[in-house]
Amino acid sequence: MREALNLFLLLLFAVPSASGGQDESAPEILVSRNLLRERGLSVGQVVMLSADPRGEGARPFRIAGVYEPTPDPSRFTAKRLEARMHLPDLLALTADPDEARAADSVGAINVVLKDTGDADAFARELGARAPGVSVVRATAGDDEHFLIIERFHVAISAVTLIGSTAFLLALMVIRADERREVAGLLLLLGVRRRRILAQALLEGLCIAAAGAVFGVVFAAVTQGAVNAFFQWRYDTSLIFVRVTPAIAARCVALALPLGVMAGLLASWTLLRRPVLDLLRR
Amino acid sequence: MSAPVAIVEARGVGKVYPMPAGRVEALRDVSLTVEPGDYVAISGPSGCGKSTLLHLLGCVDTPSAGSLLFEGRHVLAMGEEERSRIRLRRIGFVFQRFYLLPMLTAWENVELVQSEAGMPAAERRARTRELLEYVGLGDRTSHRPSQLSGGEMQRVAIARALANRPGLVLADEPTGELDDETGEQIGGLFDRVNADGTTLVIVTHNPALAARARRRLAMRSGRLLDSPALAVS
Amino acid sequence: MGALLFDMLLLSRGLIVSFRDLLESTGFDVRVTATEALPGLGPPVADAVATAEALRRLPELAEVLPVRFGTAAVESGDRKTREIAIIGSETRRRGEWRVLQGTDLTESTIGGRPDMVVNRTFARAHALEPGSIVHVTSTLPAKEFRVTGIVEFPFESASEGMAGVTLAGFALAFPATDADEADLLLVASTPGVGTEAAVAAIRGARPDLHSFSIDEVLERLRQAEFSYFRQVSFVLATIASFFALLLVTTLLTVSVNQRLGEVAALRALGFSRRRIVADLVAESALLVGGGGLLSIPLGFLLARGLDSILRQMPGLPLRLHFFVFEPRALALHLGFLVLAAVIAATYPVVLATRLPIAATLRKESVS
Repeated sequence: MREALNLFLLLLFAVPSASGGQDESAPEILVSRNLLRERGLSVGQVVMLSADPRGEGARPFRIAGVYEPTPDPSRFTAKRLEARMHLPDLLALTADPDEARAADSVGAINVVLKDTGDADAFARELGARAPGVSVVRATAGDDEHFLIIERFHVAISAVTLIGSTAFLLALMVIRADERREVAGLLLLLGVRRRRILAQALLEGLCIAAAGAVFGVVFAAVTQGAVNAFFQWRYDTSLIFVRVTPAIAARCVALALPLGVMAGLLASWTLLRRPVLDLLRR
Repeated sequence: MSAPVAIVEARGVGKVYPMPAGRVEALRDVSLTVEPGDYVAISGPSGCGKSTLLHLLGCVDTPSAGSLLFEGRHVLAMGEEERSRIRLRRIGFVFQRFYLLPMLTAWENVELVQSEAGMPAAERRARTRELLEYVGLGDRTSHRPSQLSGGEMQRVAIARALANRPGLVLADEPTGELDDETGEQIGGLFDRVNADGTTLVIVTHNPALAARARRRLAMRSGRLLDSPALAVS
Repeated sequence: MGALLFDMLLLSRGLIVSFRDLLESTGFDVRVTATEALPGLGPPVADAVATAEALRRLPELAEVLPVRFGTAAVESGDRKTREIAIIGSETRRRGEWRVLQGTDLTESTIGGRPDMVVNRTFARAHALEPGSIVHVTSTLPAKEFRVTGIVEFPFESASEGMAGVTLAGFALAFPATDADEADLLLVASTPGVGTEAAVAAIRGARPDLHSFSIDEVLERLRQAEFSYFRQVSFVLATIASFFALLLVTTLLTVSVNQRLGEVAALRALGFSRRRIVADLVAESALLVGGGGLLSIPLGFLLARGLDSILRQMPGLPLRLHFFVFEPRALALHLGFLVLAAVIAATYPVVLATRLPIAATLRKESVS
């Protein structure tokens, strides 16, 4: 693993071969799109790679192709200057010549079990059988990473929701107050409070639905711009924002009752007042 | 000795409002002089231009045609700031709907315009007390408009209009929202105001109120029917 | 919304401020590596001993400390192996760690067991205390170390077991590595000389190495690893500001609309436009200011909650915070409140000052 990381960095020292890319016997590598662009490389070009920061022991490799690095959300801020090569080539490049078994040593071996439920037991048993080898179950560290980010986003959403609800309530109270005299007149004429509240409920529902739909449509329209910006900013193909039907449904499900509640609350506080108070300027 | 300058002198004044449905000529060729000490009542059917004329006399609006002088100065030559200053210090307004500030007490409503005119605090206090007693509300000074009757609110509005010792008080339908009895009380108060030397121009539908004025003018379709007006003893 | 805005101001530089505190707490203001890679992620500095000696002779430098990083398996009493991070260094010079219990690391080897200091996480997981023996099983045969003390490392995370050993101890734990290499050289500049001078001296003496000050490290992190939170804070601050402005503008506009008659009457009574504007701006200031001031304690509370959520991320240093209070953030917040009050009042002011007095009075009378 360390050698692989080193290789990512040694490619900073990758220089075009003096032979001008004619070395057909050079082993092939794939380079990331980011590296290709950053260093002005091209497919077919031969580059010299070295595991030494001073460039000693550099060997020629021919760029056989370009690949798009799999977006890694936990490392999206990092520049993906990397290459892939055959393991024997990597070992040949990075092995310590003074170490006899260096060409047969790797940093880690990834294992996929047929039955992942056995991972802990397998790790214990292998650790016991192979002392000196660290056998570790691949953690859900990355998933946990995103769980935390998700919790953060949910917390922010909750705060925004509370603020928006306060805003909505203020507007509903203003609206209700504007129709104070009308409400007073209706009550004076004998219309029941329940009827007026039902009207307020219906209006609140319509306003909330319109607002929710607008919000979802706005988010759907702007997600492209948001993704484009962040993809440009971090030179990645990662999708940062995606408005899914589930998310849209959740938004509407939250917005509707809040809107209705705000409307009802505003109307109820108004209708509780004596009729004559409503009519007095 | 030279003759006192007329408070307001309107000559051939007209006012046109451009409306979406077409021009509306609210006033046509109105000429009117208000002398110091006058008590003028202007009556007429709704939409005849009474309030428009009042607004022009009070420098709230400017005429589309003709000339208008306030205390000898051309109103059209004044900017909005200057007209604003005149309204604050030389003219008092009484509105049909009172327009008292609901969050202020009666005292504070009367004191407000004096404060705006830069009157010192001690002088303000004395003047406010004097005026509220003058209008019969010496014991209601700390009440807010919502705690006053319509007549009481209008009396506070009259006190406010007199606060800066204006040369002219204009009242637009001052008894429009009051019952007859209360309207009579307000009329009586106006009599006193005029008797004490304040020039008064009132726009009103109320015949009883109009009858109190020494000069009664009638308007119809944007024109003054009695011009020059007949003096009424 | 005000609380969210305040929090985003705290977040925008929180990581940088917090990380700076962590870096400065070590007492070393310059870092030297073999390449531009962050320490531990790139090739090591070769000939570390000679390099350190040569740098120590520079008058601009007060201290040079080679450091090694590694991950090793240790065996616990229940025969389970766990991975821990091991830092190989010299005995403590400055703030590399803080001793909580027991004694500090020494070069001594008692009973053939080199000294080791461990963090609380490691100690708790393996029931370690000063005097305990730790078996590092990454090598054959396993190597034993003697725990001398329990310490707190500046960059230790909540879940990670960490240990500190001497360079000799590190070579013992990782026999395959070159003993004359270092992943990082920690450098302290001579008091009075300054970090920039120290960096320049190192670059002059060893241009093949990469030396950077704390400021340079932070700038790099700001541009890369921390940039996401800066972006988030900027976006959320913008949204919060927008909604706050919208709310205040709406409230003021409705208020003015409801009081058009009053405003027209005041204008008719002689109140100048300037006075009306002043009243409206004062009203806006009251609305914004009242809410804004309340948002500060609310923001602090919210920041603590959000910080506690984000700090649960695995691998983060325990002492790192996302939301850090700076007077600058408070000043920015207050400045924004002032600006918001003025901007929010703009439209209502235009409404109020441009309303035709006579037409409004007439309309109010008719209505």
